[in-house]
Amino acid sequence: MTDEMLRAPAEAKYAEELDWLESVDDGPKPFSWRLSPRMVRLFVLGSERSDGLDREIKQKWFGDRSFVERAIVTLASDRGLLLIGDPGTGKSWLAELLSAAICRNSTLVVQGTAGTTEDHIKYSWNVSMVIAKGQSRQSMIPSPIMTAMEQGVIGRFEELTRSTSDVQDALISILSEKYVSIPELDDDNIVFAKPGFSIIATANSRDRGVNDLSSALKRRFNFVRIPVVTNKRSEAEIVRFRTTELLRRHRIELEVPPSLLDILLQSFADLRAAAQSATSDDEKLESALSTAEQIGVLEDAILHSNFFGDSTLRASTLAGSLVGSLARRSPEDLAILNKFWHGVVEPRSKKDGGEWQGFLEGGRQAIATLS
Amino acid sequence: MSPFAALREQLHAAAETFADGPGALSGILSGLVDDVDRALAEPLEIFPVCHHSPASALAMARRLREKQPEVVYLELCEDLRPVLDELRNCRLPVALQAFATELDGFPEGWGPLNVVAPITEASAEYQAIAYALDTPGVELVLVDRSADHVYQWLPQERPDESVGIEIGDLRPRFAELERHLLHHAKVRHWSEWWDQYVEQPLSGADYATYRQVMVLIGSLFRRLTPEDSPRLAGDEERERHMWTRMREHLAASGADPGRCLYVCGAFHAASRVEEFGLHAAEPAYEVTPRTGTTWQYGIVPASHSAVEAQFGLAPGSVSIAAATYAKAVTRGGVKTYQLKGRQATTRPRKAAPAAEGPVTDRLTGFLSSPPALDALDEAELLGWCVDIVRLARRNGYLASTADAIAVFETSILLAGMRNRARPTPYDFQDAAVTCIEKDAVPGRRDVAQLCEILLGGDRIGEVGYAALPPLAQDVYDRLEPLGVDVRKRAVHRVLLDFGTDPELEPCSHLLWMLRRLMPDGAVRPIMGNRALGERSRQESWDVAIGHHQRALIELGYEGVTVEQVLEQRLRKMVTDPEATAAVALEAVEESIVLLGSRRFTEELGARAVELLAAERTVDDAPDVLRRIRRLLTHYRSAEPALPAWVERFVTTGYAHYCTLLPSAFVADDTGVRQVAAMLGFLSGMESLAISLGCDRAQLELAVKQSHPETPGKVALLWAARFQLGLLSSAELRARCAELLANPLVVPSFPQYLSGFVQALEPAPALTPFVVELISDAFATLPDSVLLPWLPKLITTLKDEAAELVPVLVREAGRTFPGTLAAVDAWTPPWTAAPAPTPVPTPAGGPVTDLLTAHPATTDALAALLGCDGTWQATGATGPGPGPAGDLLTRHPAATDALAALLAPR
Repeated sequence: MTDEMLRAPAEAKYAEELDWLESVDDGPKPFSWRLSPRMVRLFVLGSERSDGLDREIKQKWFGDRSFVERAIVTLASDRGLLLIGDPGTGKSWLAELLSAAICRNSTLVVQGTAGTTEDHIKYSWNVSMVIAKGQSRQSMIPSPIMTAMEQGVIGRFEELTRSTSDVQDALISILSEKYVSIPELDDDNIVFAKPGFSIIATANSRDRGVNDLSSALKRRFNFVRIPVVTNKRSEAEIVRFRTTELLRRHRIELEVPPSLLDILLQSFADLRAAAQSATSDDEKLESALSTAEQIGVLEDAILHSNFFGDSTLRASTLAGSLVGSLARRSPEDLAILNKFWHGVVEPRSKKDGGEWQGFLEGGRQAIATLS
Repeated sequence: MSPFAALREQLHAAAETFADGPGALSGILSGLVDDVDRALAEPLEIFPVCHHSPASALAMARRLREKQPEVVYLELCEDLRPVLDELRNCRLPVALQAFATELDGFPEGWGPLNVVAPITEASAEYQAIAYALDTPGVELVLVDRSADHVYQWLPQERPDESVGIEIGDLRPRFAELERHLLHHAKVRHWSEWWDQYVEQPLSGADYATYRQVMVLIGSLFRRLTPEDSPRLAGDEERERHMWTRMREHLAASGADPGRCLYVCGAFHAASRVEEFGLHAAEPAYEVTPRTGTTWQYGIVPASHSAVEAQFGLAPGSVSIAAATYAKAVTRGGVKTYQLKGRQATTRPRKAAPAAEGPVTDRLTGFLSSPPALDALDEAELLGWCVDIVRLARRNGYLASTADAIAVFETSILLAGMRNRARPTPYDFQDAAVTCIEKDAVPGRRDVAQLCEILLGGDRIGEVGYAALPPLAQDVYDRLEPLGVDVRKRAVHRVLLDFGTDPELEPCSHLLWMLRRLMPDGAVRPIMGNRALGERSRQESWDVAIGHHQRALIELGYEGVTVEQVLEQRLRKMVTDPEATAAVALEAVEESIVLLGSRRFTEELGARAVELLAAERTVDDAPDVLRRIRRLLTHYRSAEPALPAWVERFVTTGYAHYCTLLPSAFVADDTGVRQVAAMLGFLSGMESLAISLGCDRAQLELAVKQSHPETPGKVALLWAARFQLGLLSSAELRARCAELLANPLVVPSFPQYLSGFVQALEPAPALTPFVVELISDAFATLPDSVLLPWLPKLITTLKDEAAELVPVLVREAGRTFPGTLAAVDAWTPPWTAAPAPTPVPTPAGGPVTDLLTAHPATTDALAALLGCDGTWQATGATGPGPGPAGDLLTRHPAATDALAALLAPR
């Protein structure tokens, strides 16, 4: 089935692995969880030889172990989980993996936007059915959150801070009383949450101040802050992991040379260092320079090489993608990239040579085209 | 037969199964058992310890009560023994310190040498020390290498800071092993691993198990250390030293080895050096002699956080260990040893020495069963949860009882996930962060820090008065009149009014000296200043000596009083091979201001003269000029005559700078500022130097010999010639006009101008001319030269001639009109046609009358001199025109009185 989907949800993609884990799991499981907390951790972070399993479980999310542990125990407790961090740090991916492991359903998602209304969190009505048959449970359209409550599974709320305060506050009663009443109906008018229901919300720390959470809502969530990955080794693993997946999805046969991956990681590390030492917003790129951004750059370069190139990933193509992805504001971002190319890439290409020279040329051309 | 034979067999079989046949693994595994076997078979009882391990401390307390040894050998620098007695005057944690500033036998530039050994209360070594010092008849022998050897055995590179030594350093010696252990145990740092796998299982274990397990761990880390590690070689050397010292002591004292206890790190208990054991066959180990370095010993305050930082432990781990220990002591009924405030006099009841049973294998049981972990201590966890919420609320968090419940629940869930029934402090910390920390930290501390405070907090030790070196005691005594307890760790604000409390003056004097000697912030003047010729009638200080007790104690290693230390420091400053005359003059100034000893000042001054005469460069000339001017002003106002050294300094300087002047003018590496300062010295001190016997011809010659090439220096030379009267102002003006007129030279005109600005130092009379020149430059220089030069002019003036700018500005203010309206009508004084000089008519008066009446004498004199002058008609009698004349006309009384006085009677 997964072959027919452009992007299969985690529970479909890792269905076989989850089935196997469930079959060997003999640990205590909270509520209606499909796996015990330790197995959930194992599914997310991968197995070690010392775990004594008969097969290897691949690591799917890269980051500090304690973040995952804290997230899992929060879901087993009374509170909701709020993953907070810069864009592209893998919050949504972690939320998806946790939902898939705990209840095999990661698709009950509400996307927070400026246009999200309370109906998206609670329920709405099928107007034609209401006109034909009147208000009843049949003519009611439950929101993903309400569905999660009814089934006792995990509901997800993406970008919580993008939705307005009154919409956010609708979550307060759901998280504390764990039921939603439907005053339009005379009977059967309360939906109680079944054991196992919880909410994983994600929030972008760059959106702070747009729609701040109320204190009441804050205390119903446990916050787990996911930092930007700065460890080069883990970052390389993440980029490799996601790129391999991407190549498979697009059925592309293309080799990513390790030297180019190094160039990409090094450039991002340098740009991050420059952004940290910048004193004003004009001196730093608009991009958060996250790992996801790196994957995006690499993906762009791969697709470009595959469809418009000779199916070989070259340094100049990578440089072009990098400039294209990061130059969002003209002239500020272009000026920063230009400075970076002259001040960092050029000396490096002289010193190290190799692929850096192609990278230098490609970047220069891309900047010249955009300027 | 060894009691461990069965275990050895079992491990051997395991190695064969898992490592495809007996090989290295088998060797390591059976080696571990051999090490344990060997350590336990030793007639001198070895007590293996680990640093900051409450289990070690508790086992030690129990064992000491049981065995009551007569001699305790301790792995600690042998020369630190005398300071141990002072521990009873201190509040722990403190650090024993060996300190050396006068080096002999170590590479230059290594000093000061500094060895610190922190002692915390929750440690096995403190138990051993307290027992030995408070029990009469018990001898405490430190057996490790001396502080001198610590530095001798270091690799030949200077350590950045102090060298920390710790008893029982037990950590994997190569990073991969530690990473592996942490990864598989799913813990974050070493302290957490240790707590889970060793500390907790051993906290309630019996002595035999404790000992065997500790030696086993020591042996494991030892056998997995790379053979060629320099650190291992150093450890082996120390072991040879320790065993040699113990054998020597036993032979000399005749003590029974069965009544002795050897306390060392578990790593050393598993030693494999040939000298190991009382019955080692090896010949005695030769301890290398110490160097000639003089070491000072003392105790300095330490803190848990400092210990963690120095030894790379996780933040909070020492505090958590202290809290765990305190809890175990209150709960477990273990009677620990605590140093009493004074020497014990009554002999305590002596327990009968415990009979040593045969060694039995406890390792097999320990290794084959999962760690026996503590059961959930609900009351303790509840206490923590309630306290953290309270603490968080006080720090601005919106925490409530609901959070306490959530933290409790989350702690248990996290511990369960990490395979433990009882949440460790680390689990609790994670849970508290999860439940209480939101998107922002409202106060100064985040939840993780609050947890550390809750679980013990950083504790800072204090060294008692009696344990302080004489200097520190002296400082405290002398600051007593201030009326505040400066020993307390607080910032005291004190106000000294010498009008009402003249007895506070010595305190102020001491505070100024401490300010010179101690780190920033220890004493800080808020109001009042002390410099040459400057004294305040009121002073206000922030005194925080309590915070900087360590710095004060380290000062105590250098001398007995603050004055002595300051004198030594100043003397060292001027005798340093890198010292210059400017440095020596600075020392002279400080000695006048802070010490006031004429003899010492003269000694420093004499050294300044020596240094100046020996100097081959003039880089410091501006500094020398500034300082000697200040000193001259001071001596002229405060003393009846100049001291001999100042006179010598001026004469030496005059001759020295005259000699160096021609070469300084042409040398590329000597700047205009330096040459200007030399000329400033020569012209400013000229009258004094000539009165002391110098010859002006020397300076004239030097100026004539100078042929600078760079524009700045050429301008300086012109100014010098002007100052000496070798160049008139008209000539100078003409030369500058030539420069401005020559298009080839115009671009370099700004450099000439900089030279002239610098020349204001030696030739202040040039000020109006320099203003004129700048004005001319602004008027005539083309924009292409002027505009790039303007910013440079400002920065140059600011950096190099800051003190000359006010002079220039004042002169410009005098020259240029003050209002906008006046500018239009203004003509620069230098372009205005010079007023015709009136031919002076000799004023009439009695003298003129006399001369005209009797012209013969004057005519004869004129003929003699070859002058054929003519007699002029006298003008009207009375004052001539001009302001003086006006004044005399308006107030004739004084003149009339004078005339009456002179009139022939």
